[in-house]
Amino acid sequence: MSKNYSEKTITTDGQLMLKKAEEDQLETVWDRYEAQLPQCGYCEMGLSCRICNMGPCRIDPFGEGPQKGVCGADADIIVARNLGRMVASGAASHSDHGRDLVEVLEAVAEGKAPGYQIKDEEKLRRVAGEYGINADGKDILKIAGELAHAMQEDFGTRKKSLTLLLRAPAARRKVWENAGVTPRGIDRETSEMMHRTHMGVDNGWVSLLLQAVRNALSDGWGGSMIATDVSDILYGTPKPVQTAANMGVLKADHVNIVVHGHNPVVSEMILLASQDPDILVFAKSKGAAGINLAGLCCTGNELLMRHGVAMAGNHLMTELIIATGAVEMLFVDYQCIMPSLGSIGDCYHTKMISTSDKARFPNMEHQEFHPDNAAALAKTLVRKAVENFENRGEVYIPVEPVPAVGGFSVEAIVGALGGTPEPLINAIKAGKIRGAVGVVGCNNPKIKHDYGHVKLIKDLIENDILVVDTGCAAVATAKAGFKNSEALQFAGPGLKEICGALGVPPVLHMGSCVDNVRILVLASALADALGTDISALPLAGAAPEWYSEKAISIGVYAVASGIYTVLGPMPPITGSMNIVKLLTEGLDDVLGATFAVEPDPEKAALLIRKHIEKKRAGLGLDSREVK
Amino acid sequence: MKKVVVNPERCVGCMQCMVACATAHSKSGELFSAICEVPFPKPRIHVGVGLYGEGFPNRCRHCDPAPCMLACLPGAIYRNADFDTVMIDPDTCINCASCAMACPFGVIRYHEDIHAPIKKVVAVKCDNCIARQTKGLIPACVEVCKSNALTFETSTDALKRKTNEVARTVSAEAKQVTAPGFNLLNAMKKAQTELKVNCSRRGN
Repeated sequence: MSKNYSEKTITTDGQLMLKKAEEDQLETVWDRYEAQLPQCGYCEMGLSCRICNMGPCRIDPFGEGPQKGVCGADADIIVARNLGRMVASGAASHSDHGRDLVEVLEAVAEGKAPGYQIKDEEKLRRVAGEYGINADGKDILKIAGELAHAMQEDFGTRKKSLTLLLRAPAARRKVWENAGVTPRGIDRETSEMMHRTHMGVDNGWVSLLLQAVRNALSDGWGGSMIATDVSDILYGTPKPVQTAANMGVLKADHVNIVVHGHNPVVSEMILLASQDPDILVFAKSKGAAGINLAGLCCTGNELLMRHGVAMAGNHLMTELIIATGAVEMLFVDYQCIMPSLGSIGDCYHTKMISTSDKARFPNMEHQEFHPDNAAALAKTLVRKAVENFENRGEVYIPVEPVPAVGGFSVEAIVGALGGTPEPLINAIKAGKIRGAVGVVGCNNPKIKHDYGHVKLIKDLIENDILVVDTGCAAVATAKAGFKNSEALQFAGPGLKEICGALGVPPVLHMGSCVDNVRILVLASALADALGTDISALPLAGAAPEWYSEKAISIGVYAVASGIYTVLGPMPPITGSMNIVKLLTEGLDDVLGATFAVEPDPEKAALLIRKHIEKKRAGLGLDSREVK
Repeated sequence: MKKVVVNPERCVGCMQCMVACATAHSKSGELFSAICEVPFPKPRIHVGVGLYGEGFPNRCRHCDPAPCMLACLPGAIYRNADFDTVMIDPDTCINCASCAMACPFGVIRYHEDIHAPIKKVVAVKCDNCIARQTKGLIPACVEVCKSNALTFETSTDALKRKTNEVARTVSAEAKQVTAPGFNLLNAMKKAQTELKVNCSRRGN
């Protein structure tokens, strides 16, 4: 294997496919990254401002050139405004995804969404109860309609605070109130963030960042939380389920259909269509052994969590999977879908289908899915995928799949613990489990693919720290074999004992990136059981390979929820050392948690272990020295 | 005489010097119309990538004696003494690439140019913006560089400045002279790059 490939990714399938891509003369994300070097230092430092047309402006970080934009904004203001807008975009993305699900829930209630149904009535009633909806004796669809409308109000401006904030510990809500960051409406906070960052509005870098915190909280405890809850109601709350991961999940003798993106609204219908008996007969008639559905990124995670649908890869693998030549059809919805994909599809027989009215891509066929046509359109297209089977050229499936277990919703974890978080708390108190860490986020060509995730998590579980993960991080560890029955060999003795007794792996797959809210709910349950705030718990978060604005929003709401969070790549903030200091030190006084930045996962693991031992000491538990 | 001085430790890699250079050497001299011109304007300064993804603005040093001038068989390369600038005459150039082979810095390119006969590919490189200087303007790359990675000053001033910088680093209360945020960014980029190369040795 060429050294070059192993510098890009630690995965065997990735390295083999990079070789194939080079032979096939494909341009990949790594090539484009190289072509962009050097990347603009002003932008990397957050010191370029394109907000108004007196500009664009930039600030000389060496202090001799311009120190203010045309409007007079200094480095602190410019960096804060840029960061605020990143949070706004991230929060908007998660929340708009949530809104789309609420609209499906509403359409189901109105009987206008054939194919969709209420899969988890119990959760519907429970969430409706949280929204103050009296469900007694009411028809299930009536409750669904009322819940959809109540959730839509959370998006608007009629409330003083978001409904689901009530899931947070009382002490945490008090922290938010004192800091003035209690989110009022999901869209309102994004809208206000955009308003404040317009030229001549908020020019206090601290107040700008506090609004960014409120905006991120409107995502974590609002838009994303609604997205996860409604997905559970519509498609079922995840339970532990057997699955498999890496490009080996593609099957040479099957029609392979891959779903990529985030929202389960489309992918759930593709799943149903791929199981349709008539279409299966049709597939056999075309010489295929069956129809194999596989996932990429978070819409893949949504299907993996609820149905055990196998996972072909994470963000940086999305181009390479097409180069297997084994994919008959690739569906995309939105978010993190590289616009380069369509042109890669052109090099093979793969039919590329874009499905969302708000997301178009070059060289893809646009087939718009709506709640009323989704089930029927999915069948039509899956049939086309089957027809495409005979157009296959040479197929190269580079590896065998790695088995994994997914499906750890909070409900499933508490279930595995016997109905209460008590056994987990006892294991933490006894020091068998030192603490828990949520590892989340993306891939980024700035970090060797999957190395950030896998090395960090390996170091954590070796040291008796339970890991929960989501998104592309969760795919990385599934591929690395941290999520099957053999994974306990990587765990420290205490973690091995507890996970062994519970029959769970040491790394629990909690879902897609909106499902990070499951981690918030779990953390709240632990804090409530101990009668304390989340910030007092031996917990941490990490985003070792993050790239997206959504990840910025997640990081901010994690810290604002009291969870110390270590980022791999540096965000564009180093233009203002005031802001660097606030985010890495000052926030502790306001929110009880801070960020840290550490690209080296070995060092990040040490930071996290030190933090966890410090929090253990704070709770009066035994504490180890970390070196 | 003032010269363009490169201060590599200050390059933030924004590549605005390249855009400004191409624009200054276009017919119109304006960015928005320059991008529609034929021949397409190209830069004479080239930002390269260092070991850790950092930038470096690479341009003609106007050497004396200039290896390119010695290597040029038709005698197209000459020195403009008024501006201490090595120049290429596009009418005499035969596009043989001897100058590029002789150039130790790789700053000579071959393409069409507004000063060359139509459709003729010629050797092109930095001319110290003589056209701008005669109008009282400073070279375009320097004008657009806001981090002072490129400065326009006399050798005496540049060396005095550098001497003072060195002197300050040995002062009793020596302080970091560059920007702390930029140092932090570079430390992170360096860590990321080293990980790509080194982490396989850690048994992963």
